[in-house]
Amino acid sequence: MSDAVITVSLLLVAGCATAAVVQRDPARQALVLSVLGAVLAVLFTVLQAPDAGLSQLAVGSALTPLLIMLCVRKVRRRGRTKDGAR
Amino acid sequence: MNGWILAATVGLGGGGAAALWGVTTGSPGRRVIAQNLTTSAVCPALLLLSQGYGRPAYVDLALLMALLGPVGTLVFARLLADDLADERPSAWGLTWAAAGLAAAVVIALCVAGGPGRAMVKLLVIGALLIGGNVIASRALAGGFREVRGG
Repeated sequence: MSDAVITVSLLLVAGCATAAVVQRDPARQALVLSVLGAVLAVLFTVLQAPDAGLSQLAVGSALTPLLIMLCVRKVRRRGRTKDGAR
Repeated sequence: MNGWILAATVGLGGGGAAALWGVTTGSPGRRVIAQNLTTSAVCPALLLLSQGYGRPAYVDLALLMALLGPVGTLVFARLLADDLADERPSAWGLTWAAAGLAAAVVIALCVAGGPGRAMVKLLVIGALLIGGNVIASRALAGGFREVRGG
């Protein structure tokens, strides 16, 4: 019976990971990825590994989306200036 | 399995599924709101899990989540500002419902734990969670226009 919470978090992780792969737009992928980071942290906690959960939370919820969004913005800007130069 | 873990399972399943559904479908505005909802759904679940497992150290996870979750939403509010400018996404009913859930969980844990240092920590987490949630929602709704651009 105590496996219910593990099952729920595993299902959520599987759903989030699949959804992150299926999205086409990188900005939307970053949004799903940030949800995936939070859900993965819960999965680690439920599996009694809160230390891994802490680092996953720090990296997954803020840092990875920030890096991806900064890259997306830089690429979009470069595309815009190239279009303007033409 | 005790009542705390059961409550955490229900909250995690409901909130997580709703956030996953919202973040994968619909307009960009809806997606960022769902991303913000993740913090409000997962953080109370982490608090309940810590009480259910009887390990006060697990509360640190909820503390970090309450701190970093709104920061992640603010990242999106800042860097997706151009996409969100015409939409001004806001769901104040959902925001206050999430704040109410956080307050209910914190109060229940305070009553269960009794007064002491742990209770102060719980209250700090609750204040951070509700305050961060409201600030992030206001930023998404375009409440801080003056810091936009760049």
